[in-house]
Amino acid sequence: MNIIVTLLLICGLLFFTGGAVGIIRFPDFYSRLHPAGKLDTAGLTITMGAIALYTISPFSIEALIIALKIILIAVFVFITSPTATHAIIDAGVRAGLKPWRKEPEADE
Amino acid sequence: MKAIGVILVGFLGGLLIYCSMDFPPWGDPHSPASSHVSPYYIEHTLEDTSVPNIVTSVLADYRGYDTMFETVVIFTAGIACIFLLRVFKAVEPETRLYRHLPTGITLRIAQGGKFPDDSDQFKRIDSDWVPHDIILQTTCRMIIPFIQIFALYVIAHGHHSPGGGFQGGVIFGASIILFAIAFDLRSAIKRMGERLTAFLCALGVLIYAGVGLVCMLYGNNFLDYSALADILGVDRISARSHGILMVEIGVGLAVMAVMVVLYYNLASAGKHDEGL
Repeated sequence: MNIIVTLLLICGLLFFTGGAVGIIRFPDFYSRLHPAGKLDTAGLTITMGAIALYTISPFSIEALIIALKIILIAVFVFITSPTATHAIIDAGVRAGLKPWRKEPEADE
Repeated sequence: MKAIGVILVGFLGGLLIYCSMDFPPWGDPHSPASSHVSPYYIEHTLEDTSVPNIVTSVLADYRGYDTMFETVVIFTAGIACIFLLRVFKAVEPETRLYRHLPTGITLRIAQGGKFPDDSDQFKRIDSDWVPHDIILQTTCRMIIPFIQIFALYVIAHGHHSPGGGFQGGVIFGASIILFAIAFDLRSAIKRMGERLTAFLCALGVLIYAGVGLVCMLYGNNFLDYSALADILGVDRISARSHGILMVEIGVGLAVMAVMVVLYYNLASAGKHDEGL
């Protein structure tokens, strides 16, 4: 059980690292929000899953309830974090921010 | 001028640093802060009030008078916001936007046109036109009940864990503000009107002061909750615990209503028509 938990934690931290690197390295607003919305959600879900597994490893009813609460955190972040990203990007589009292009546009 | 500023800042900063040397060492058991009433609170909280959380019992029982006027300060902030910002005779714009709900079409009705009634067919929308964002609205619809339950939990569970009326009230108010942002200000005001929020502001403070007054009528000091033992049918120690809960509910109501009042007035510049 401990090995599975460790593997899941490492996997989640890898996602978090990717998200952090992506936020710094991507060129503009929209592409930066992509790792912020996706990788953080994935990393948090996996990490919370690992913690929930760790909690119930000597099984009891109390541990199960704590694990369910931890899973609830993951569920709420899974719902709200993409919605927040969606709202931010929507606001960016409505404010008129142009997406980044590799080539400067010729027709403007 | 700049040199004077630098000298002044340097002088005052140096003075502050010099004065801070007179502070007692960190964690000193003989310092004034931890030698007068703090040991009493730490040792007697559980046997006096049967509340495990010392912070809550100090906040609402030992220093209940202080907390009552903190609530009054918040109430005053809400009232002052209404007086300063509220525009009662707002000029209605001549062009209005409506959304035809079954089709999702936006109608722009200019001056002289006949405005449709606010029914389940037509819904008036802000002139700063915002698209119908179904993702945001569905998520808020799902999340808001949980936020509100959590807020009630924070208010009621302040005896055992960090929390209490102020924190729970802020969370509850935030859920209503979230509704007003995700939908629009008109639907929020339709659900929780101005009269209701103003009434709840005052009701929260009234509950707090009323609990104190009931204690006084039963012959104890103001806000000495052990007098409630006869009404509640419990012993005097758990009566103090229940009294704290009642007071926390009052604080929660007042804080929640003031949050909502502040948002309504600040977001629409007092006109209560179009929010953010």
